[in-house]
Amino acid sequence: MERTQSASNGDASEYGGKVEVLSPEDLSELLAAGTKEVHEKAENTQFVKDFLRGQIRKELFKLGAVALYYTYTAMEEEIERNKEHPYFAPLYFPQELHRHEALGRDLEYFYGPSWQSDISCSPATQLYVDRIHQIGEEDPVLLVAHAYTRYMGDLSGGQVLKKVAQRALKLPPTGEGLEFYQFEAVHSPKAFKQLYRSRMNELEVDVETKKKIVAEAVKAFQFNMEVFNELDEIGKSIQEEVLDAGMPVHGAGGDISKCPYYATKTAARGGTEYACQVAMAVLRHPTGQVLFAAWVAVLAGLAAWYLM
Amino acid sequence: MVDVETDATHPEPMVNEDEPLLSNLDLFLFSLIAGLVIYWFMSRKKPEPIPEFKKLDTPTATSTRETSFIEKMKKTGKNIIVFYGSQTGTAEEFANRLSKDAQRYGMKGMAADPEEYDMAELSRLSEIENSLAIFCMATYGEGDPTDNAQDFYDWLQENDEEDLSGVNFTVFGLGNKTYEHYNAMGTYVDKRLEELGATRIFDLGMGDDDSNLEDDFVSWREQFWPAVCEHFGVEALGDDSSIRQYELKEHTDLNMNKVYTGEIGRIKSFENQKPPFDSKNPFLATVTVNRKLNKAGGRHLMHLELDITGSKIRYESGDHVAVFPTNDTALVTKLGQILDVDLDTVISLNNLDEESNKKHPFPCPTSYRTALTHYLDITHPPRTNVLYELAQYASDPQDQENMRKMASSSAEGKALYQSWVLDACRNILAILEDMPSLRPPMDHLCELLPRLQARYYSIASSSKIHPNSIHICAVVVEYETKTGRLHNGVATNWLKNKMVDNSHKSTVPMYIRKSQFRLPFKSTNPVVMVGPGTGIAPFVGFIQERGWLKEQGKEVGETVMFFGCRHKNEDFIYQEELEEAEKKEVLTKLHVAFSRDQEQKVYVQHLLRNNKEDIWRLVHSQNAHIYICGDAKNMAKDVQVAFYEIAEELGGLTRTQATDYIKKLMTKGRYSQDVWS
Repeated sequence: MERTQSASNGDASEYGGKVEVLSPEDLSELLAAGTKEVHEKAENTQFVKDFLRGQIRKELFKLGAVALYYTYTAMEEEIERNKEHPYFAPLYFPQELHRHEALGRDLEYFYGPSWQSDISCSPATQLYVDRIHQIGEEDPVLLVAHAYTRYMGDLSGGQVLKKVAQRALKLPPTGEGLEFYQFEAVHSPKAFKQLYRSRMNELEVDVETKKKIVAEAVKAFQFNMEVFNELDEIGKSIQEEVLDAGMPVHGAGGDISKCPYYATKTAARGGTEYACQVAMAVLRHPTGQVLFAAWVAVLAGLAAWYLM
Repeated sequence: MVDVETDATHPEPMVNEDEPLLSNLDLFLFSLIAGLVIYWFMSRKKPEPIPEFKKLDTPTATSTRETSFIEKMKKTGKNIIVFYGSQTGTAEEFANRLSKDAQRYGMKGMAADPEEYDMAELSRLSEIENSLAIFCMATYGEGDPTDNAQDFYDWLQENDEEDLSGVNFTVFGLGNKTYEHYNAMGTYVDKRLEELGATRIFDLGMGDDDSNLEDDFVSWREQFWPAVCEHFGVEALGDDSSIRQYELKEHTDLNMNKVYTGEIGRIKSFENQKPPFDSKNPFLATVTVNRKLNKAGGRHLMHLELDITGSKIRYESGDHVAVFPTNDTALVTKLGQILDVDLDTVISLNNLDEESNKKHPFPCPTSYRTALTHYLDITHPPRTNVLYELAQYASDPQDQENMRKMASSSAEGKALYQSWVLDACRNILAILEDMPSLRPPMDHLCELLPRLQARYYSIASSSKIHPNSIHICAVVVEYETKTGRLHNGVATNWLKNKMVDNSHKSTVPMYIRKSQFRLPFKSTNPVVMVGPGTGIAPFVGFIQERGWLKEQGKEVGETVMFFGCRHKNEDFIYQEELEEAEKKEVLTKLHVAFSRDQEQKVYVQHLLRNNKEDIWRLVHSQNAHIYICGDAKNMAKDVQVAFYEIAEELGGLTRTQATDYIKKLMTKGRYSQDVWS
């Protein structure tokens, strides 16, 4: 994830009142400042923290790609619709930025040729998608908030996520499954982000609208966090081998009859075999031996008493 | 009763018809004793069950989990250990590659995660002969260690009395220059190990992920291994067996349709051109114009126009055109002669590592001639790893020693390489000519030489005016080297020789690389362009575009150009176009510096200072975008300083504040640079 984005923020007093602050109303700066807190929150969700440590299960990664597919398809649809709109035109960079085709190729890699019929839009993603369509149709000036939140992020931390995923999921070095993270038409992410910021600042919007855009960007982060949390919940219910499996439970010369799981399995099967297993297990235990000996003694005593 | 006394003291069981054999108490006591006896016997026979339970509690204490890396190295015969501090797996991958490299030099390496081993054992490394600890350390976050290196970092910090004498080490750091604490971890480990008495075998390597981490790693690694070999007095696996990555196969009766003749990707892609065109599938553009731009002077500045009709290629002013040049035929022929090889032999070089994705070093099968002409770089001075690998083919022992020395990290070796190869600009042919005993086989040479790279030029036209033509402005590189040889720039000479002829078409394989160097979206936004020499290229396009916008009836903001050249009468390139634009008021102001037309040098930065009020007004109050294009090393820096000075003077700022001001303009995309070295 990107850390500090811009150089130090000067304020009027530092300049001794001779030069005014460098346009604090620049949209790019308002967005960076206004989303700083929610950006940190997103970084610290369990899903993202696990991901950065390489603890991401393939099933969840695939579902994540599906969510991204629906999100970007919706966003890029609305961008196409509004490409001439004065509130979006300066930011129209389809060749450089658009992801839905790359995501389609990734999904084909993960789900096979019939991927489109195999996937569906999750509830959290649907909320996000609906919002994007809503603003694309009703209030396109807010579209920049969503584009900023996703694309700038992809060009920054996205590169780190790619490497993590490649290693954790053992994906091929030729890039299949990770085309989403590859911006083929962007030679320098740093230079592109600078260009994008200059274009955002060229939008002719008043202070009130800028505030609205910042608020919408915060919402965009929240929509993303909802998707992360949803994935996290799904993760808890998936029965799958944990990727970083430690010691084998039965290997290395362990005695299988000592294993409680094995015992449970055999009990389920029933039969005298199980009773014998239990008996043998009891006899190996020292307390069991004492009890057995005492039991023998009591029996012997009772027998003798009875006989007499 | 005589037995009464005996009965009382010894209650032996006596058969008595009146009394039971055993009383209840007797029976109870008997069974209790019997039970205790049984218990005692059983516990004697099986003592193991207790320890077995204990074993399950500490599963790591088995022989498969060795926490001593020293023991592991001794057991597996390794003398090199590569520790990695890795978060995303890159440092780990580098560590794996380094450990594999070791065997090429007759040594054995292993990669190790510092979290899994007891790093306090580091001082014991001297127990192993010719041992070396390499550290691949990535920096994470705010100059922090990666998670798996945290404990090692803490240990390093806390133990001042640790004595690591006898421990050989090297560090390669993985970082990113866009972050403030660039390579903090690598730098720290390198410094700290030395402080604790360890011996540094080779310089700290610093990889920059913002630029090209892989390249940084490979370059460092190429120098590193020769240094290691020298330090241990180890020769690379004998003189007879060379460490080849590829295996030569000569083809005798191959169908010419299957042989590459210069294509970059798909075979026959130059004959059957199919869009989309990109770096793997370039378009063969016809050269329609090739004229000299300067009127006089020793240099040759040129303007070329490439026809892209029918290619479906689109571009915007500010983009770069990439061209795939070929080497000079005379140079190629001489290489064939000096190594006594039939250049038309058709060959393939096949990777010995079958699992590698890279099957061949360049498109195969092909001829030596094609490889040396189209695919390999034969003009840049060879890198040290090439010298090291070729050394074995020098029959003169002194030559061989010198080659190896130049590849080593010794001060003497580095100096020799610097003077004999770099300063003298010796390319591979020059080295072969000046070292007659050095005669490597052609195929090994082809394996070692780097790939011929595409060259990028800032496009000097606007697609609004020239949608089907891409213009290039370049200066031919040619100079005499210290050895009296003529060094010619590969691409510029190749372009210069592209004749425009009715009888024969000259083509240039090209593609567009999108740049982020763009005019503002709004035509009313003022622009300040600084582009001396061939740096004017993208601005020719910008000015054409602003002119076109004006013709379309759009309101166009101030357009200011700062140009510089040597002499007004010699190399004032595009003079007519610029003066025309000024007349039409497309160019609001044209400032030109003629550096050598007077006694003192006058450059663009002097003109910037002379016009500081204008500039400050445009930049500070009118939101102007600033563009710099041309030489990176000197001009770009000097111009930036000029802007700092203007901001200081007219903005009442300190130097630090002025620097911040300009840096902020860069972040917000209002100060862009398209510069080259």
